[in-house]
Amino acid sequence: MRAAALLLAVLAWPAQAAWEWSAPLTVNSVRGAAVFPHLESANRRGVAVSGDTVAVVWEDNRAGSPQCYLAIKAAAAAAFQPETRLSQGECFEPVVVALGAGRFVAAWEEAGRVHVRALPGSKVLQLSDTEAAQITLAAMGDRIYAAWAEQAGRFRRIVVARLALEGDALSVKTRRPVEAKKPSDEQGWPALTAKGDGSVTVAWEDRRDHHTVPMVSHSRDGRHFARPARLTDRKSGSVDGLGAGTGAMRPTLAAWGENGIAAVWLDKRDFLSGYDVYAALDGGTRRFGKNIRVQDSFGDNMVQWHATVVGDAGGRLLALWDDARDGTPDVWLSDWDGKAFGDDVAVPAASGPGAQSDPVATLDAAGSLHVVWLDRDDTAGTRIRYARAERR
Amino acid sequence: MNLIKTLLAASFLWAGAVLADPPPGYPFVGYDAGLKAARASGKPIFLYFGRYGCAWCDHTNKQTFSDAALKKLYTENYELVYVDAESGKRLTLPSGERITEAELGVRLQAFATPLFVYLTPQGDKIVQIPGFKTVQDFRDYDRYVRGGHYKQKNLLEFLGGKS
Repeated sequence: MRAAALLLAVLAWPAQAAWEWSAPLTVNSVRGAAVFPHLESANRRGVAVSGDTVAVVWEDNRAGSPQCYLAIKAAAAAAFQPETRLSQGECFEPVVVALGAGRFVAAWEEAGRVHVRALPGSKVLQLSDTEAAQITLAAMGDRIYAAWAEQAGRFRRIVVARLALEGDALSVKTRRPVEAKKPSDEQGWPALTAKGDGSVTVAWEDRRDHHTVPMVSHSRDGRHFARPARLTDRKSGSVDGLGAGTGAMRPTLAAWGENGIAAVWLDKRDFLSGYDVYAALDGGTRRFGKNIRVQDSFGDNMVQWHATVVGDAGGRLLALWDDARDGTPDVWLSDWDGKAFGDDVAVPAASGPGAQSDPVATLDAAGSLHVVWLDRDDTAGTRIRYARAERR
Repeated sequence: MNLIKTLLAASFLWAGAVLADPPPGYPFVGYDAGLKAARASGKPIFLYFGRYGCAWCDHTNKQTFSDAALKKLYTENYELVYVDAESGKRLTLPSGERITEAELGVRLQAFATPLFVYLTPQGDKIVQIPGFKTVQDFRDYDRYVRGGHYKQKNLLEFLGGKS
């Protein structure tokens, strides 16, 4: 038995050694048994690094209602500064992206509308006049894009806006639905990437085929979008006249390499083992290839949750998620090696006893990985935890 | 006229929110409304955790929930709650935490739909049962829950290893 354990440890060593992790830090300063922090957001963009500043956003109910918060730290600092509140009314699903030189853009849903603000400095800008939610952001150089789900008749549809930041003033340059026609069923949870040439890619959950399908559309100018295509290579359709197809949800996107885009989502095509993590890659043709299962065989027969993908211009690409294969929820990651996703590796500080879940992550300009997750404790209160990793 | 417009708008928004596939003809409501009703009525909650387009949910609806006597039994004795496994619609847990309907699946570690969860009127879980079930199965679960047997036995013990 000991020999088998030793063999497993030796086999697992190369994968574990890929990243060298810092000691974890706690991000949130207010905790308690009745305070519930959440890192949920469209495209899971809850952490960003701009210059040498790390920013984390989340929602919790410490004020008696759900509000959105931001905490920052200098990369070398040993602790996060006390958080600041972003919202006044009920707030959900905040996101943050880096602009460079220590500046950020944050966005969130507040009182049923979506809002955006550059940090530090600018005033809050309301982006929607009608019911809207699930906003996400992407920035590349001075180009900032937002996408959200907005009520259009019976259902919500995906809207993409290009934003301009002049000094401290944010404004909307263009705002377009991905499809001009009214949606025939619900759309939501958009994910965005932007490229330096002004092109933008948006993915989202779509129910037009009477089950949940991740779809994607590309625009060369951020205003005119190609006809949506399916990210999943599974066809819709009933089985013996029953149902409409398997479910797939919460697509995430990341720019990757010189001109690539990676998509990762939760997919229930193996309907007896819950959601699995699936990916599709677009090397630059603006057509996604065949679907790739991300998690390894040790994750079989185990439901995966909260999947996300991060990449950078240097070609680094990895997926993160949580699952309970070792008995309790842990945060796992898998690196793309150019041909396949590698062995699943538990994030050291986000694994072991207790429940660690809901990862959000980003790669900074130097290729360091920044991961934030929830460390649940029903008695002492949930901590938002942060760790940084360098590739060996 | 304004009232009619408001009611029409509200009905459209509600239609947009009801996206998945509860069995037709049953008075299923959302999680928060069901919990509130259960606290008022003292009835246990029958929570149907389904997925939009789910074939096994469809099969259960057609084969099992089409039974008129079962419909009467569950409509009269339970607060019926439908939750969509992939929805971003929000609900409030008895603890006060607000999460999405999809996140409730995480908390239940739901690996398949349909998933049927019986809750006390206060929202505490009694038992959860995944997959297709027959009319007789649901009659057995009803005896287990409303008979209070869950206080002494787990479901398998109650059923004598039958299910």
